[in-house]
Amino acid sequence: METSFALTGKGYVIVASDTTAARSIVKMKTDEDKIKVVSPHLLMSYSGEPGDTIQFAEYVERNLRLFHIRNNYSLRPSAAASWIRRSLAQSLRSRKPYSVNLMLGGYDVTIDSPHLYWIDYLGTMTEVPFGAHGYGSYFALSLLDRYVLSYISSKANTHFFLFTYRYHDPEATLQEGLATLKRCIDEVAKRLVVSPGKYKVKVVDKDGAREIEL
Amino acid sequence: MSRSYDRALTVFSPDGHLFQVEYALEAVRKGTCAVGVRGKDVVVLGVEKKSVLQLQDPRTVRKVAMLDDHICLAFAGLTADGRVLIDKARIECQSHRLTVEDPVTVEYITRHIAGIQQRYTQSGGVRPFGISTLIVGFDPNDTKPHLYMTEPSGIYSAWKANAIGRSSKTVREFLEKNHKDDLSREESIKLAVKSLLEVVQTGAKNIEISVMESYGKITNLDLAQIEAIVSEIEKEKEAEAERKRSRLAATAAGQASMTSRATEGTSGQ
Amino acid sequence: MSRRYDSRTTIFSPEGRLYQIEYAMEAISHAGTVLGVLAKDGVVLAAEKKVTGKLLDLSGAKEGGYGGSGEKIFLLNSNVIGGVAGLTADANSLINYARSAAQQHLLQYNEDIPVELLAQRLCDMKQGYTQYGGLRPFGVSLLYAGYDQQHQFQLYHSDPSGNYSGWKATCIGANNGTAQSLLKQEYKDDIEVKAAISLVLKTMSKTMDSTTLGSEKLEFAVITLDPETNLPKAKIYKPDEIDELLQAEGLSKKEDDNAMKS
Repeated sequence: METSFALTGKGYVIVASDTTAARSIVKMKTDEDKIKVVSPHLLMSYSGEPGDTIQFAEYVERNLRLFHIRNNYSLRPSAAASWIRRSLAQSLRSRKPYSVNLMLGGYDVTIDSPHLYWIDYLGTMTEVPFGAHGYGSYFALSLLDRYVLSYISSKANTHFFLFTYRYHDPEATLQEGLATLKRCIDEVAKRLVVSPGKYKVKVVDKDGAREIEL
Repeated sequence: MSRSYDRALTVFSPDGHLFQVEYALEAVRKGTCAVGVRGKDVVVLGVEKKSVLQLQDPRTVRKVAMLDDHICLAFAGLTADGRVLIDKARIECQSHRLTVEDPVTVEYITRHIAGIQQRYTQSGGVRPFGISTLIVGFDPNDTKPHLYMTEPSGIYSAWKANAIGRSSKTVREFLEKNHKDDLSREESIKLAVKSLLEVVQTGAKNIEISVMESYGKITNLDLAQIEAIVSEIEKEKEAEAERKRSRLAATAAGQASMTSRATEGTSGQ
Repeated sequence: MSRRYDSRTTIFSPEGRLYQIEYAMEAISHAGTVLGVLAKDGVVLAAEKKVTGKLLDLSGAKEGGYGGSGEKIFLLNSNVIGGVAGLTADANSLINYARSAAQQHLLQYNEDIPVELLAQRLCDMKQGYTQYGGLRPFGVSLLYAGYDQQHQFQLYHSDPSGNYSGWKATCIGANNGTAQSLLKQEYKDDIEVKAAISLVLKTMSKTMDSTTLGSEKLEFAVITLDPETNLPKAKIYKPDEIDELLQAEGLSKKEDDNAMKS
């Protein structure tokens, strides 16, 4: 089943998506690229109703390009995300809404920082340190999640709450980030009945977007 | 009412003119000059740039606009009209990509722009665009450069080299005399600069040159580069003038000696 | 029928000129001066008010709103202030348009509208009014002073034709030629807001018709970055703040004049 992950690290965002195109229970294709480079520093993975996904992704791509050619600079990730969310929210209230879920990873060159947005077909948007769509998210999120260690100091009889990430580290290097991504993929492969086979991985940082072999 | 035919565009004048279109062309002739030169595998756009005032931000004074990765446009005439028309063209470029997945061809976008210009000469209650445009670029998967021109009337045409705007007639005549087929990159740039110098008296600082060499590869020459070309051209002109002068002097001397010999001859007789 | 949309306004003259635009510009050259100076760390705007009079009630300006008396300088968005010269009624509708354009951008992109984009939106509208039938051009020039992430502080000028351009220092309205040349002499590239304020006031005092500067003849605004939040902060001065500023700059009117008034 369709699965996409994304996570931030020190100065980059990794976006990964499975490459299967399925119809009902049949795999039609296993090398489908479902991550679009929508502008020089912006990646968008899409899943959902086939057809809608590509239609919407291209619509986004062309509009961001239009903004770029008009103004000679690209929209910042935050502004692009807001615009995309709005488009989905408007579409939801139309006669034929797009049924598309997105992970939007970008690098904001004006303030030198990576940003990741989780967006669903209902027009929900939230900025996250990591995120996932599809069945894979049930396994990946718990793997990456932040959890609370609580200490009770016996001497002072006080509580300490320590927040830690299990595997995700927002300050990780690209190598470490990719290793974490590998963990997610392995976990899904191990536990999910209908786990996807192959993944495409793309990363965006200050140098722009590029594909990475895992 | 008797003069109304030159106000309402939908009406021809008794002798078959559309006056507003002709007047719009006058607005173009008042605009700054722009030239386009097509070489063998390069196309050059040169524009006369109004001097940027001391306190003005040069970033906002633009005469050449990208329509897409592979197409570039220069215009002459009313700047605000140009901005609006360029915006319409840019939208069409992206919209075309969205519908057929391919970038526009140069001819397509030219036709589109000319179509818009034509509509504004015919539909009710609008005046024509007061601009002519030069459109250059490469078609996708092709190495042949293209150069087109559109006019307020909505006419469009392909050219090897052409000029629009102020004194465009002089420049066009110059280009007609000096353009050869299969110009190299350097020759094309030089011809563009040279032709602009026909109308731009102030030299390099009022010239802007954009060179498109292949699909999506475009460079804007900086001031130093243009200055170098201008001084080269000036040197050539001087040398040419020098040659002419010495030739003149030589013939004059020849004539003089002949006449003197002739007088000698007569005196000898 | 053929003349239904037709009017003199939108058509070319035989020489290819659009007289209505030129006349509109002429109207502006008699309007109250607006002057803007771009500094390294902010932008300064000042404007000469024309609607004055002993009985004019400015108490509204003293209390509510963003400051200013609502004649010349307006807040267009949290990051842009605008100064207008020309027909005040036309200006009001343009300002209204600018404000809603800015909010539309905020709604769409969740960020403040870039200054140049706002200027473009207004210019597209102005251009439309020079091309479509039955309309006359807007008789308004504007200065836009603002800040955005992409180009930091900026100053733009737009005219009735729908042209715009960016400036380091410029002036519209009456006596703009004199002011322009004064600015050309005095402006330095790395000028700071404090110096820019003096430059603006000094130039204003030299170009204005009246001999003395005072809050009843002047509107004044500055946009800077708030050092704490790092966000643009627009400040349109209230009348008493302008008087204070003039006092500090030593440009305020003579004491006996004040005494006479009180």
